[in-house]
Amino acid sequence: MNDIFDCKLLIVDDEPELFRMVTEILRREGFKRIISASGCKEARRIFALEKPEGVILDVSLPDGDGFSLMREFRAISAVPVLFLSARDEDEDRLLGLGLGADDYITKPFLPRELTLRLCAVLNRAYFPVVLKQNAKPVFCLGETRIDLNSGAVITGKGQLTLTAKEFTLLEKLYENRGNIVTGDSLCRAAWGDDLYGYENTLMVHIRRLREKIEPEPSSPHYLLTVRGLGYKLTGVKNK
Amino acid sequence: MKSVMKILSRYVLSAAGVALILLIINFAVLAAWAVQNSRIEQKDYSVSQLADGLTKSGGIYKLSESARNTIEKRFQWAMLLDDNGNIIWSKNLPGDVPLKYTISDVAVFTRWYLNDYPVYVWRHMDGLFVLGKAKSSEWKYGMEVPLKVMDNIRVWIPAVLILNGAAAVLLSLLFGLRLFRSLKPLTKGIEDMAEKRPVKLSTRGLLGDLAAGINKTSAQLTKQEAALNKRDNARTAWIAGVSHDIRTPLSIVMGYASQLEDDPNLTVSRREQAGIIRRQSERIKTLVSDLNLASKLEYDMQPLRKNTISLPALLRSVAACFLNGGLSDGYSIDVTIGENAQTAFLFGDEELIRRAVSNLIANSIRHNPDGCAVKVTLEKSLGNCTLAVSDDGTGFTQEMLKNLNHPIGSGGLQNHGLGLTIVRQIIKAHAGTSEFHNLPEGGCRVVLCLPVSGNC
Repeated sequence: MNDIFDCKLLIVDDEPELFRMVTEILRREGFKRIISASGCKEARRIFALEKPEGVILDVSLPDGDGFSLMREFRAISAVPVLFLSARDEDEDRLLGLGLGADDYITKPFLPRELTLRLCAVLNRAYFPVVLKQNAKPVFCLGETRIDLNSGAVITGKGQLTLTAKEFTLLEKLYENRGNIVTGDSLCRAAWGDDLYGYENTLMVHIRRLREKIEPEPSSPHYLLTVRGLGYKLTGVKNK
Repeated sequence: MKSVMKILSRYVLSAAGVALILLIINFAVLAAWAVQNSRIEQKDYSVSQLADGLTKSGGIYKLSESARNTIEKRFQWAMLLDDNGNIIWSKNLPGDVPLKYTISDVAVFTRWYLNDYPVYVWRHMDGLFVLGKAKSSEWKYGMEVPLKVMDNIRVWIPAVLILNGAAAVLLSLLFGLRLFRSLKPLTKGIEDMAEKRPVKLSTRGLLGDLAAGINKTSAQLTKQEAALNKRDNARTAWIAGVSHDIRTPLSIVMGYASQLEDDPNLTVSRREQAGIIRRQSERIKTLVSDLNLASKLEYDMQPLRKNTISLPALLRSVAACFLNGGLSDGYSIDVTIGENAQTAFLFGDEELIRRAVSNLIANSIRHNPDGCAVKVTLEKSLGNCTLAVSDDGTGFTQEMLKNLNHPIGSGGLQNHGLGLTIVRQIIKAHAGTSEFHNLPEGGCRVVLCLPVSGNC
C-alpha cells in the first residue's frame, strides 16, 4: 500500500442510490477499490473474504444493526470503521464512538466532509505522520516574526521573549486566527478558570503582549479587541 | 392521611361540643321551668294569702270572696284547727277526714298526706289553717340537701360538666375511630390516584359505595393516561421516524448537488443553481432536526444533560460564533452583561441553552435581510436572571406574537417560527419563562427569565 487511496473499502448500506453516490464521491477522490454490501449477512461474508482496510457502516440495516456488526469486525480485526447514519441522536453517536468507531457522520452530509473524515481516519491508521513533538508554528505579523517554539518575538529592533502566560494567550489566539476568541476561552487556557475576576489580569497581559508584537501598541493592528466578547488575531502570515 | 386526622379531631370536638351544649340547654330549661313554676304558685294561690282571707267577726269565721273562689277552683277543701286539734272552721270538708287531730297527726300530714289528700298548712292567728287538694293530684315530698353539698355547688357543677365533656369525647373518639378506619383506605386510594397509580379498593363496609366510585374513577383515569401516552408516543415516534427516513434521500440530493456545484465543466449559473439546491437541502436538514427536537421537548422526551454553566461565557461564545461565521455588513451583535450578572450560573443543558440563544439571534438576522443591530443583555436579580435578545428590525407580526406568547393547545408547533417555538420549549424545560415583544421604536425583544444557581 503506497497511499490511502490503495485501501480496500467496504461500504455497508441498504440504500443502493446512496451507495452509488458514496462510491462516486470516493472514486472521484481517488479511491479505486470499493466493494459494497447491503446487509449484515453479506457484509460478514465479504469482510471475511476480502479483508477490507476501511469500513463505512450504516447503523440501521435490514437484518441487524451496525453497532453489533462493528463489534464483530473489531473482534477479528483492527480495521478503521466510520459510521454513516441517519440517526442523529446523541445517544447513538456516543454509542458508536464509545464502541470504538473512528468517526460518526450523520446524514445528510456534504461529500467533502465524508472524504475529509475518511482520509483522516485512514491516514491515522496506516500512515501515521511521525509528529515532530515540539514543532510549533512560526508566523509573521507584518514585519514581526514570532516563533512559538522558542517563544521569541523578532522585530527589526531586536528579539523579545514571551512570558509563559503571554505565550499561552498568543498560541490560543493563533490557533483561532481570524476568529474572535472569547475572554472566557483565553482565561480557561491561561489560568484554567472562569473569566470573572480575571478581566483586569487578562487586559494587563494582552497589553504586555501588544507591547511585544504590535508596532504601535496603543493602536493595535493585529491583536484586536472585540468589545464585550474577547480578542482576535488578524493579519497572520505563515512562514 | 393528615386530612383524615383532621376530620377525626373535628368530629370528636364537635361531638363533645354537642354533648356539652345539650347539657347546658337542659340545665337552663330545667332552671327556667322551676323558676316559672314557683312564680305561678306564688302569684295564684299562696296558702298564706288564703289563710289571711279567713277572718273572724263576731264569733263567725268569714272567708273572703277571692279566697273562696281560689279554694273552689284550685283546691277542694280547707279547715282551721285550734291549738287543741279541733276543727273550728271548715269548708267542703270531705267525709273521710277526721275532725280531731293529735300533734303527731299534724306532724305527719304536714310533711306528707292527710288520708292521701295532699295538704298545705299556714299559721292562722286562731290556730292552723289547712288547705287540702283532691287525692292523687299532687306529688309532695320534702327535699333535704346537706349544707356542705350546697356550699360545694361551685365545684361540682363544673366538675359534672367536665366529666360529661370527657365522656362525650371518649365516646365520639370510639365511634370516630371506626369511621377513621373505614376512611383510611379511601384516602390512600385518592392519594394513589393523584400519583397515577391504579387503585383497587375493597367495596365492602360503611363507605363501600364511595370506594366503588374511586375504583371506577381510577380505572377511567388509567385508561385515559394510557391513551394519552400512546398518542404522544406515537406522535413523537412518527416525527422521529420521518426525520430519520428523510435523511438518506436528503443525503443523496445534497451529495449530487454539491458535486455539481464543484463541477468545472458546468457553466457558472448552473453551478450556482446546484449551490441553491445544496443550501436549501441543508435548510431542510435543519428544519427536520428542529421538528424532531421540538416534538421531543413538547412531550418531555428530550433528555436534559444538566451542568453548571456560566451564562456570560455562553453568551459571549454564541456571539463570537456568529461573528466568526462571517456576518454580512449591516449586522452587529452587541453583548452587554450587567455588573451583577457576571457570575450568573445556570444549572442546565448547555447545548440547549446555546441553541435557544442562537435561534433568537439567527431569527433576528433571517427576518431582517437589510441588516440589523442585535443586542444581547444579561441582568441578574434575586434568584433569577433575565436574558434579553432584541433587534431594531421589523419585529414580529401580531399573529406570531399571539402564537408565541399564548401557544394554543399542546401542539405548539406552528407552521412558522419553529425556531422560536424551540426557544420557548427549551426555556420551559429549564423552569424559566419567555416573553416575546415588539419594541415601540421598531424591532423586537425576547426576554428569557431563568432561575440561576446562585454564586459559585
